[in-house]
Amino acid sequence: MPNRLELTGITKQFPGVLANDHVSFSVKPGEIHALLGENGAGKSTLVKMIYGIMQPDAGEIRWNGEPVVVPNPKAARKLGIGMVFQHFSLFEALTVLENIALGMDAKIPSRELESRIREVMQTYGLLLDPHRTVATLSVGERQRIEIVRALLLNPQLLIMDEPTSVLTPQEVEQLFTVLRKLAAEGCSILYISHKLHEIKALCDTATILRGGKLVDTCDPKQETSRSMAEKMIGTGLRDIVKGEGRVLGPPKLVVNRLRTGKTGHFDVPVDNVSFTVRSGEILGIAGVAGNGQNALLDALSGEIIGDDREAITIDGYGIGLMNTTERRKQGLCAVPEERNGHAAVGDFSLADNSVLTARDRLGMVVMGLINSGAAKTYTGKVIADFAVKALGPASTAGSLSGGNLQKYIMGREILQKPSVLVVSQPTWGVDAGAAAAIHQALVDLAAAGSAIVVISQDLDELRALCDTLAVINMGRLSEARPVKDFSIEEIGLLMGGVHGTTEGADAIPA
Amino acid sequence: MQFRLEKRREPSRLMSYITPFAAVLLTMVLGTVIFSLIGYDGLGAVREIFLTPLTNSYKWQDLGIKAAPLIIIGTGLSIAYRANVWNIGAEGQYVIGGLAGTGIALLTYGMTGWWILPLMVLAGILGGMAYAAIPAFLRTRLNVNEILTSLMLTYASVQLIYYLIRAPWKDPMGMGFPQTRLFSEAARLPTIIPGTIVHLGVPIAVIVGIVAWFIMTRSVFGYRMRVVGAAPHAARYGGFSENKTIWLAMLVSGGLAGLAGVLEVAGPFQRMVPGFPTNYGFTAIIVAFLGRLNPLGVIVAGVVLAITFVGGEVAQTTIGLPNAATGIFQAMMLFFLLAGDILIKYRLRRVSPQPSVGAA
Repeated sequence: MPNRLELTGITKQFPGVLANDHVSFSVKPGEIHALLGENGAGKSTLVKMIYGIMQPDAGEIRWNGEPVVVPNPKAARKLGIGMVFQHFSLFEALTVLENIALGMDAKIPSRELESRIREVMQTYGLLLDPHRTVATLSVGERQRIEIVRALLLNPQLLIMDEPTSVLTPQEVEQLFTVLRKLAAEGCSILYISHKLHEIKALCDTATILRGGKLVDTCDPKQETSRSMAEKMIGTGLRDIVKGEGRVLGPPKLVVNRLRTGKTGHFDVPVDNVSFTVRSGEILGIAGVAGNGQNALLDALSGEIIGDDREAITIDGYGIGLMNTTERRKQGLCAVPEERNGHAAVGDFSLADNSVLTARDRLGMVVMGLINSGAAKTYTGKVIADFAVKALGPASTAGSLSGGNLQKYIMGREILQKPSVLVVSQPTWGVDAGAAAAIHQALVDLAAAGSAIVVISQDLDELRALCDTLAVINMGRLSEARPVKDFSIEEIGLLMGGVHGTTEGADAIPA
Repeated sequence: MQFRLEKRREPSRLMSYITPFAAVLLTMVLGTVIFSLIGYDGLGAVREIFLTPLTNSYKWQDLGIKAAPLIIIGTGLSIAYRANVWNIGAEGQYVIGGLAGTGIALLTYGMTGWWILPLMVLAGILGGMAYAAIPAFLRTRLNVNEILTSLMLTYASVQLIYYLIRAPWKDPMGMGFPQTRLFSEAARLPTIIPGTIVHLGVPIAVIVGIVAWFIMTRSVFGYRMRVVGAAPHAARYGGFSENKTIWLAMLVSGGLAGLAGVLEVAGPFQRMVPGFPTNYGFTAIIVAFLGRLNPLGVIVAGVVLAITFVGGEVAQTTIGLPNAATGIFQAMMLFFLLAGDILIKYRLRRVSPQPSVGAA
């Protein structure tokens, strides 16, 4: 039997970067094949060429033994290649059925389509009511729409791009069951991820990329997570060093019945949230994306200003009515989830981006004029201390890779030595080496007496980093408890909150 | 055959400096073709419009006084547009600025004193600001699009001139002409080069441009405008409120348009007449974009547009080109400039209909 997919010498050159350098590997029928690598290692470029979004400069793609050219995604689907993207392309105001119908290449009468959708859902246990509006669905449910959409075409190869980054542990398990069932039926799966324990649990083979080159193809069950991570980043890993027997200080950040108004149509506001973070403490806030994390961060940073002065206090001083600038002067810095366009301005130089949040705390403004020398010096320090790969303070933020930009942003806030730091998704899309550096910097900042709030969807990160943990669901926050008192299952149930557990009941059996 | 715009990875910095020149050049070429086709001397038209004002030294003073209001208004607009605040009604703010100055001049008629002109200038700036405050208020309070309100207010301002110069401000000795009396000496802008018509507004325009450039590149105010325009979400995160920025942008651009208005009425006109609105406020939009929203660029662009005004008048007498020809040339320039901007950011790719999958 020929290989389902065979790549030979695939090369892709972008201006200034060799994204793929003679990459060769093959995927057998029914195999679950992991594609591993840091950000910028060339994984996305490679699958984009398989799915026909880009064309390789050199090399050959063989499909079931035959050499093929995949000019576009439509052709890829025709061959039997399906792809589920990390970012869904769904219309929130439309129903599941309407969304799937819109994405089909062939026009199928909606009654027939519905029966086929129900059939696929039934076969793979992907329960979902086709007539529900997408806006009412959780992220896990939305991903199911994308999977159903791909499965309707009876694919022989399914490409999944970082599928679990937004799922609860229970949802991840359900997804794995579906994927194993698909593989058992002969469908090959190309699974892109950097979560090593998932790859160990799910995949038969792992291909590891680094800097566009293939480093190794191995059996993940024979490897340890550590050995694969080291192949990925090319050096040894650092562990987070937490000072043993740390004593937490007095309460620093106290949030008391914080609420926000509903802003957008589909936004989840913060509802009656209370918590306390002591000096030296790292509080983790877990939750599935879209459960009010953004509103919580904006309400803490001052982008949304409430009507209760005492709803947020630092060292007992009410800052609830202050704007972002005044809160920064009080020692509260924040890093929102979205880097480009929110935490940083892509068109601006890094030095100008430092002016954005550090101008008042670090005296970069004298009589209304910006001291660009001070901004450059500070930016240079951030670049050096956080090993940001950039040409210098004059590089534009948009020219940095996602991970490097995140290192810069985290460094920009941490080096201001805030007494309270609120960060959202500090290591989203950041490679293992950079993530370890960011984690260590957060731990060090806490050790110096700051109170830190980490909002994240990555449970491994929260469990490794935090002292206490709380879970946010539909804008409500659970009670914060020491992180070691939680089991994974318990966190998962809290994350699922209302909708996570009722999916089965809501879905109409076909 | 289909075409598709595809985003470039890195827009070329060099090209963004070249496009303004390319736009002017393409305008000349296309202008030659169009006016030849409709039966004029196309080459002559372009020569008269673009070159005669430069080669004839007696036209230089005209260039200066036409460029001054364009530069002052264009500078204000370049600041507002940086922040994505689309003040299209500079013409109206210019008119109200002129009227405010006229009001002071008429109140102080017959008086002398050094303070009259500064007071007029102040009134003009405040008038322009006040008129720009209306769209700012509507936008920040009721979320009404400032493009519509500022544009429509322009027409209201013109009606205000007509009313004032036909009734309360009409020249008592004017034999019924709808115009105010000639300002007294103290309310007229002095000429700075004896024997010419070059007035104090010309150096003021250059100073306004240079000061604005300094403020936009070095100050927190300039930073605010740039960051709000480039990434509004990041601006909020950085502590710059959107509403305050809209107010600042409208007041600065309105105030500068008002300044241009009062300098114009106290300089070349020396009285308020029905022909006072000469579309400087609209032409300054082209000036702002041709100058790459950079105040130093605006100074150059103001001169280029002034050339087309002066040259358009020359071409009317020498070739018999209609007055509207000037507008056509100016519009072509903006068109080519905007098209060039798109091509800097995107590349045009031909998309042939995809053949079905085949073996290679």
